[in-house]
Amino acid sequence: MKEQTEKWYNKNYKLLLIIPVALLLFSLIYMAIFYSNNQDLIYKDISLTGGTSVTIFGKINLFDLEQTLSEKLEEVNIREISNLITREQKAVIIEIKTEGCNELDVKQTKKILEDYLGYELVEGDNASFECTGSSLSESFYKQLLVAILFAFFFMAIVVFIIFRTFVPSMTVILSAFADILMALTLVNIFGMKMSSAGIIALLMLIGYSVDTNILLTTRLLKRHEGTVNQRIFGAFKTGITMTLTSLLAIVIALLVVKSFSPILTQIFTILSIGLCFDILNTWVTNTSILKWYMEKKK
Amino acid sequence: MVYGEEKMKLSWKIWLLIIVLGFSLLAMFGMPPTFLEKGVLITSVEPNSIAFEQGLRQGQIITNIDGTPIENLESFSNALQGKFNSNENIKIIIQTKNSEAILFSNHVPNITVAEIPKTNIQTGLDLAGGSRALVQAEDKKLSSIEINDLVDITRNRFSEFGLADINVFPVSDLTGNHFMLVEVAGATKTDLEELISKQGKFEAKIGNETVFIGGERDIASVARSGQDSGIYSCDQSQEGYFCNFRFTIFLSEDAAKRHAEITKDLEVNVTSKGSYLSESLDLFVDDKLVDSLSIGEGLKGRVTTQISISGSGSGTTRNEAYDDASKSMHKLQTILITGSLPYKLEIVKLDTISPVLGKEFIKSIFLAGFAALLMVTIIIFARYKKFKSSMALLITSVSEIIIILGIASFIKWNLDLPSIAGIIATIGIGIDQQIIILDEARQKISLSIKQKLKRALTIILGAYFTAVVALIPLLWAGAGLLKGFAITTLIGITSGVLITRPAFADMVKRIEE
Repeated sequence: MKEQTEKWYNKNYKLLLIIPVALLLFSLIYMAIFYSNNQDLIYKDISLTGGTSVTIFGKINLFDLEQTLSEKLEEVNIREISNLITREQKAVIIEIKTEGCNELDVKQTKKILEDYLGYELVEGDNASFECTGSSLSESFYKQLLVAILFAFFFMAIVVFIIFRTFVPSMTVILSAFADILMALTLVNIFGMKMSSAGIIALLMLIGYSVDTNILLTTRLLKRHEGTVNQRIFGAFKTGITMTLTSLLAIVIALLVVKSFSPILTQIFTILSIGLCFDILNTWVTNTSILKWYMEKKK
Repeated sequence: MVYGEEKMKLSWKIWLLIIVLGFSLLAMFGMPPTFLEKGVLITSVEPNSIAFEQGLRQGQIITNIDGTPIENLESFSNALQGKFNSNENIKIIIQTKNSEAILFSNHVPNITVAEIPKTNIQTGLDLAGGSRALVQAEDKKLSSIEINDLVDITRNRFSEFGLADINVFPVSDLTGNHFMLVEVAGATKTDLEELISKQGKFEAKIGNETVFIGGERDIASVARSGQDSGIYSCDQSQEGYFCNFRFTIFLSEDAAKRHAEITKDLEVNVTSKGSYLSESLDLFVDDKLVDSLSIGEGLKGRVTTQISISGSGSGTTRNEAYDDASKSMHKLQTILITGSLPYKLEIVKLDTISPVLGKEFIKSIFLAGFAALLMVTIIIFARYKKFKSSMALLITSVSEIIIILGIASFIKWNLDLPSIAGIIATIGIGIDQQIIILDEARQKISLSIKQKLKRALTIILGAYFTAVVALIPLLWAGAGLLKGFAITTLIGITSGVLITRPAFADMVKRIEE
């Protein structure tokens, strides 16, 4: 049985590459279309477009509030924060698109909410106000993109220094790129609005992705015990344990914070999506290319 | 094996971990541990109050009031209850940890107190509550020198207003933009916007000509107390009450000459109340007329350095009007002393966060962390079926969290949401790398365990350096508001590579041998 599997793998490992290549192509095309439609890489939430996020503590009828507000304001997004165990509503988060953060902007928003609630909102007491001006958000967003580009670039340099050969280094880099691109595509397909925290999650993905890939590449290229397949299998056993523990821990954490923190929820969601793609990209894309490379070198 | 005798001894790597852990716990809890301390912490003292004059300050711990030991908030309020029922001045003795204050007063001391925090871990604004504003100049890119000046002026202004416990510092971002970040911790309600966004431009004009402006160039000094400064009358009108204030300022030589120059050609109008010049001295704050002062005939063409500034405040009650007037006076004095900024300020980010959810949030984070660690332990145990290795992994991960929190308390880093995300990222990476160590050590090849572990550490070092360089740009991106993520992750993975990973490798070596 084991022999048969190995035989099949030796014969078909190049063919397996079709799956990630197809996915990668799909992602590239999807993102290209997405970009030409939206002039942007993601759907941005107010932390990146500018706006006010108001958290009001207490029990408030979401449906009713949403109806009232959408009559008066253009873009409104309402979320609920509840106790993890009792599911009791603790607060609502209302996100409103506003231009600036001057006294006037804040007062206007406050007035609309107060009119609905019928009581006074005291900032920092029974309500939290977080406002980001649109020009700041824009530069914020650009800088985060630059940060990711730099991070990626620096990572690539270090990877080249470690392996000093073109193909293996490129596979590590390609795998990290594919993880981010595929995660981004899926996030866009879901229509998820990304916050600055979501972009950080993409950066974290680089770290997680590189870990398993460096492990695989080192085991395959720098070690000489056993056959290539044995080394692949050994690395796979370690790597998949790594990714699965991370993935499960993150999913568990996601379930806990889901009712509570939109920021951490987004980070964990993007990470779990990315880690799933990382399994494919490390153990199919990267492994097949490296195996191919080594067979050719013989 | 030759090791026989040494086996019971712990290697220096494990000792190092234990020592660092000890220091981290010390940094987190203090010595003696803060959770054993009794008393209440003073979180703010109203400036110029009796409590302030007698030496009570923010950060002190009250241990005793009038001989009654204070253990918590309840005993604090019990100790003060019923003491100030009459309007008479009474004496109370407040003992803090290192000093004693004796207060004679007819009201409860103007201080706010809170329970002593159980750890030295400081939480950021988004968890502890407070206000934060990111400020830029409107339509102007400030240089780093200008922003430093702005920070100085703002600090002065805040202290003039009697606001302590406000952090003002310059920040810059990846594209070379400079900002001023103003943070007010805790739930203090302050009108941050009011204070910051007002440019505080003061101009005194006669007709269209500026006589003097705020700042030390034109104004030598401003009277703040005594008979040269204060509220001198309150009256009732149809709309409510209004109170008038007056204070003296001393002009510089130049400004005084300018005054003489401008007034010398003015005509004198004789009215029933007296003889005044044809134009008045108009006071503008941020281009808004706040008051017009009639200029007495005697001042015409005279080089005078002493000028009396007046204004008023109003309210529905007498007290309200009085407070309004003293606030306006204070504001005007501050503006006159600190001068105005040559540009308008714009708040580009303003967060006012309530501390209500913070505590519950931290609880749920702990729960999430605990559940995740439990899950990891189960998987590791299922995979390796070895109790010792799984426990070693768990212990190492927990000590990693303790070390990050310890270092964060030590460098007084405020843990905000991005920081917590960073801690989570670190734990994940840490566990991954420990799995690498475990697996490399168990490989069935003819290498000594030492060599196997060395190989594991090479992989880990490679991963470490890629992570470090990937994090560096984040230290500056977005005015450093996401710095917390980079900082905690860097602390975590660095202490991991230097301390916990080598120690874990040693534990594994022991177990495998």
